[in-house]
Amino acid sequence: MSATENAKAVLRRLTAASATERILISFAALVMAVLVGAVIILVSGRITTCQTAATTLFGTGFCYDPVEVYLVLFNGALGEPFLVNRPGILKPLNPDWNPLSFGLALTLKETTLLIFTGLSVAVSFRAGLFNIGTQGQLVLGGLATALFSFFVAPLLPSGLVGGLILIPLAVIVGALVGGLYGAIPGALKAYADANEVITTIMLNFIAAQIAFVLVSEFYGNPDSQVVETTPLPDWATLLPVAFPQGGDFSILALAFGLALVVAVWFLLEQTSFGYDLRTSGEQPEAAEYGGVDAKRTTVTSMFLSGALGGMGGAIWVLMVMGKWQAGVPALGFDGITVSILAGNNPFGVVPAALLFGTLKSGSLAVQFGTGVPKQLVGVLRGLIILFVAMPEFFRMLGSAIDLEPDRETVATDGGSLGGDDE
Amino acid sequence: MSTTTIDRLRDTELSYRATLAGGALSVFLLIALLGLAFPGSIWGNFLAILTSRSTLSSALRLSVPITFAALGGIFSEKAGVVNIGLEGLLIISAFTAVITTAVVGPEMTVLGLPAIWIGFFAGILSSVLFSALFAVVCIRFKADQIIAGLAVWLIALGLAPFAATVYYGGVNTDNLGTTLGTWTIPVLSDIPFFGAFFDADPAVYMMLVAVPASWYVLNRTAFGRHVRASGENPKALDTVGVDVSRVRYAGVLLSGFLAGIGGSALSLGLGQFVGNNQTMVNGKGFIAIVAYLFGNYNPIGAFGASFLFAGLEAAQIRLQQVPGYAIPDSLIQTIPYVTVLVVLALVGRTRIPEAAGEHYDTGDDNR
Repeated sequence: MSATENAKAVLRRLTAASATERILISFAALVMAVLVGAVIILVSGRITTCQTAATTLFGTGFCYDPVEVYLVLFNGALGEPFLVNRPGILKPLNPDWNPLSFGLALTLKETTLLIFTGLSVAVSFRAGLFNIGTQGQLVLGGLATALFSFFVAPLLPSGLVGGLILIPLAVIVGALVGGLYGAIPGALKAYADANEVITTIMLNFIAAQIAFVLVSEFYGNPDSQVVETTPLPDWATLLPVAFPQGGDFSILALAFGLALVVAVWFLLEQTSFGYDLRTSGEQPEAAEYGGVDAKRTTVTSMFLSGALGGMGGAIWVLMVMGKWQAGVPALGFDGITVSILAGNNPFGVVPAALLFGTLKSGSLAVQFGTGVPKQLVGVLRGLIILFVAMPEFFRMLGSAIDLEPDRETVATDGGSLGGDDE
Repeated sequence: MSTTTIDRLRDTELSYRATLAGGALSVFLLIALLGLAFPGSIWGNFLAILTSRSTLSSALRLSVPITFAALGGIFSEKAGVVNIGLEGLLIISAFTAVITTAVVGPEMTVLGLPAIWIGFFAGILSSVLFSALFAVVCIRFKADQIIAGLAVWLIALGLAPFAATVYYGGVNTDNLGTTLGTWTIPVLSDIPFFGAFFDADPAVYMMLVAVPASWYVLNRTAFGRHVRASGENPKALDTVGVDVSRVRYAGVLLSGFLAGIGGSALSLGLGQFVGNNQTMVNGKGFIAIVAYLFGNYNPIGAFGASFLFAGLEAAQIRLQQVPGYAIPDSLIQTIPYVTVLVVLALVGRTRIPEAAGEHYDTGDDNR
């Protein structure tokens, strides 16, 4: 039995856990990550130097106050509905709060992008494939979109009509390129048994370099010092319609993302392909006996996963940047957190993306308001994955404090949780 | 899986490895031939790069983090825990080594030990602590090893730049202005080409000791036997009264210790931690995994593969300095990663330890 098969057994067990249990585990993991994050904030508050301590615990001054950091984070992500810098526990409402303001647009922008990458990771994980390569698929898909739009835009009438033709085509091109790049590790897995974790990570490095070369040597913007493509005309991009104060959020992209969530759910749960995909992830042996072509399913699942990642790149180019630029943010890695937090369920991806999008957009307010670096989100990203990966920890915690003794008994009797070797 | 299938797989594996090693050798011979025939051409440049002493010495230096991480990965996976978080262990030790040295003061000595060596050991300690966390999560809390390993990587990838920003205001640390330096052995270092072995970073000597030592521990000691049994047949090990969990903890901690040496050596060799994008570790932990798969879990084979990958990296760096040909640097930089992919595609069917990736329950829940 190979490690991947074992991993699949674990995924199977995770899927077997009830929906309520998974939601509980995700929440508990989030709370634990936030708590550990608070400790990290406190400790780093001792490392840095400041004039006045932000908080004092046990007679020791700390430069950063974790409670304040999280308050500022959520407040910033929502566009500052409260006046958090006032003293007292209950903060007064901000009379100038505007839900269409920059802060909320930023949150929704991040959420939209994370829906795509989260879906990408979720599809592969459901197929029992650890696609860590969403990042690379996103980088190349985004570049393809930018180049396609740049070369085709002059051939089309500018304005709304041109946009209506060009934008969907550009997204499809991004999806195709991302999908083909995702199919490479799929084929390597299916036909050469090469571990997809490693191949996708290697392909991330290769994608970044290839994209860099293509843009810096061939298709770069000659007027720019930065490695980037020429900006697209406004009509060829997704403009912020409902949120005029900037923040690069287009409600159209969010609507498209939500439609994809439903489409992916339908594909996974209601079609025979989805059935093949899930069974080869959950019960590979049964899938083989049932006549599923495992190799083809592997390649197709990875193509699909890559296509979703590529679309994420397309949306990043069309909605956020209006061009492709080197140094693409780590949306693909964030997608892993989103998918794991969502229990790899397409519908779960939406709240998970919203939560993680809130963390990401709020981190900017945190850096500005409290001085805690925005890289904090990178730490939380890993911590969340760690805690979701150990449901046993929460079960033990639950039974230790005797929270739900009944459920424990059921789990033990049912024998579906853990204990494969017994 | 029946024995015949395993045997057949093993045969194909061997032929793959032979093909690959033969392929590498013939590529080298081809370059040598072309280089000798046309000394002024690009092949001449290739040959000069491949046979220069400075390429050898940088290949040795570059193979240190990969080799140590690969050795660590062998112990962990042989014991039954797939440690995909090696990259994270390299990152955290590389960062801790530099920041500790900076906090102590690069010029200071404590108890006769220069600050840089205190940083070196602090880096190892941080990696051991991280691997202890990973071990507890995997063994005690039965987490999925792949996902927990990814978490270790991503936590380190977030934590190091975060801490660097807290302390320095940017994701890179300041340069310490000092490095581990080189230890030169008189006379021997004067040998042409191979003298590079005797005029090297201290960590290179450590590596040259650690590789055979790991082989010996794994294959010739009781502990090594326990480690292998814990990965192949934990039930049998349990039956003879050895605590499987303890052996697995030891395996994972050892992987943290070894990867820690690699990480500390990486950053202190440069005197700085670079935290951009994928940090200065830049996939070395994952390359290490491929190196030990290629080396079939044999420390010496893993060193060979690490040295091959590091050699490509060294040649690649030197190639960028050769003027007069038009391949962009970024494309050359992909050579090691592409090679890793090709190697993995060819030796992908490696037989991993039977019970690697599985939890082992003794049936005794109160442990």
